[in-house]
Amino acid sequence: MNMYLHELRSLRRTTVIWTCAMIAIALVYLSLYPAIYRDGAHFRDMLAGYPASIRAMLGVTLDSITSVLGFYSMIIAFVVLCGGIQAMNLGMSILSEETRERTADFLLVKPVSRAAIVTAKMLAALTVFLITDVTYYAAAAVMAFAVRQSSYSAGLFFMMNLTLLFVQLIFFAIGAVVSVFFDRLRSVLPVSLGTVFGCYVIGALIAASKDDWARFISPFRYFDYPSIISTARYEMPYLATGAAIVIVSIFACYTGYTRKDIHAVS
Amino acid sequence: MSVIDIEHLTKNYGKARGIIDVSLAVEQGEIFGFVGPNGAGKSTTIRTLLGLIYPTSGRATIFGKSCATNPEVRRDVGYLPSEVFYYDGMRVIDLLRYSASFYKKDCTKRISELAEIMDLDLKKRIDDLSFGNKKKVGIVQGLIHEPRLIILDEPTSGLDPLMQQRFFDLIASENKKGATVFLSSHILREVQKMCERVALIKEGRIIKVERMSALQENNFKRIKVESRADFDKTIFDMEGVTKVENGGKTATFLFKGDINRVIRRLAQVDVSNLSIDEPDLEEIFMHYYAKDG
Repeated sequence: MNMYLHELRSLRRTTVIWTCAMIAIALVYLSLYPAIYRDGAHFRDMLAGYPASIRAMLGVTLDSITSVLGFYSMIIAFVVLCGGIQAMNLGMSILSEETRERTADFLLVKPVSRAAIVTAKMLAALTVFLITDVTYYAAAAVMAFAVRQSSYSAGLFFMMNLTLLFVQLIFFAIGAVVSVFFDRLRSVLPVSLGTVFGCYVIGALIAASKDDWARFISPFRYFDYPSIISTARYEMPYLATGAAIVIVSIFACYTGYTRKDIHAVS
Repeated sequence: MSVIDIEHLTKNYGKARGIIDVSLAVEQGEIFGFVGPNGAGKSTTIRTLLGLIYPTSGRATIFGKSCATNPEVRRDVGYLPSEVFYYDGMRVIDLLRYSASFYKKDCTKRISELAEIMDLDLKKRIDDLSFGNKKKVGIVQGLIHEPRLIILDEPTSGLDPLMQQRFFDLIASENKKGATVFLSSHILREVQKMCERVALIKEGRIIKVERMSALQENNFKRIKVESRADFDKTIFDMEGVTKVENGGKTATFLFKGDINRVIRRLAQVDVSNLSIDEPDLEEIFMHYYAKDG
């Protein structure tokens, strides 16, 4: 419990910053919605002028772009990118910070097992994601309600926002497992930014190709918002793949971290 | 049961040298010195003992249990690493409270006592402290829970002489209260002052485990003799005499063996001055380390 609280305390500031950034994205885009709704026909024409592949990359569906949910599916894509970066950063740093900041000689000689340390840190990260996502969801729900031009399904809105947590968990798990097995990494940001943006760009490219198999490559494509809106369901194969990545990575973290040598500072 | 028990401990680091077949035992209430040059394997041995790294073969236990499989034995261990770094943005008191929270006892009083002895400002942020002051945080942090075993890895680097003295007084008083102390160092003076037994480690192997007193007794005496007339060249030709420096009326040499033999020999000369010194650990040490290159 003490380790969990310590981690939460040390993650306080970054969590507030990330949450504010995500809310700001939603605020900026959603504030445009009433204007876009009024000029719906023009806006649609303008987007129709774009090549179909570009539209797909941006996550634009012409038919629904003027509905709150259709418009929001564009916004949530950016927010999820944000959440992905946050999660991968956190995943890569939370276990490796002890060796990078050279505090391992403090924490790892305390009367606690390595597994207990991993558990405390994982739970702290999960808490951070929940705080971020619940705060963001509350803010986004209020904003969407305020700018709505017609009624929309709150359930679907919730389902769309829940994908933020799923993507965060996937990137967190990938980041954590990378940090356990590549312990010579000196800085976290270049690797996590590279990986997440890489996945995002790949996701955008394969969105244009409509190849269902290619979608497995990028976690950003595991959740297709137009499909969620039309079917009110997540696509099982992708959801299961995401879950498998998380479970396997976290298991690997536990085994890897409990067995690795913690070397002296040099 | 020994407090520390290390048996045939080996750690390979691929090509780099680790430690090879290290065995030693530290008994209850002892102050045990662990001496060797940088890179000899002192830290590797300690880190394996604490469960920070895993041995290739052999075993290392504290109070009969391995730290790797029984992390709860570390409740009775206080460890001061050679270099200390702590979480950014924490105040000294926050860190000490966090450290204390791992042990199931109230350490509030102990924190203020130790801070006073080590002259440590609890309200300062750790980032703002000098290296020496960070080291003090490390010392207090390691002793906060009144451990029954104190493991020190190069403890005094960065401390000024006054603080070194206070630190050793503190360790001595903990020892008097019953704590066993394992002191790793390459500074021989502090080992000589504190320890009852020492282990010498060289290139990953233990080359000697000996009582401090025996190490000094059974070894060389440094003898300096002055005479009124020039020394006869043959007078120092006897068993046990080495490193003769005959400067005419004064001569120095090292002697190993029964001291009476050398006294009888010197009685043949008209001696004007004679001094027989215990060699300090430095010399013994150099002897062991220089011996096979």
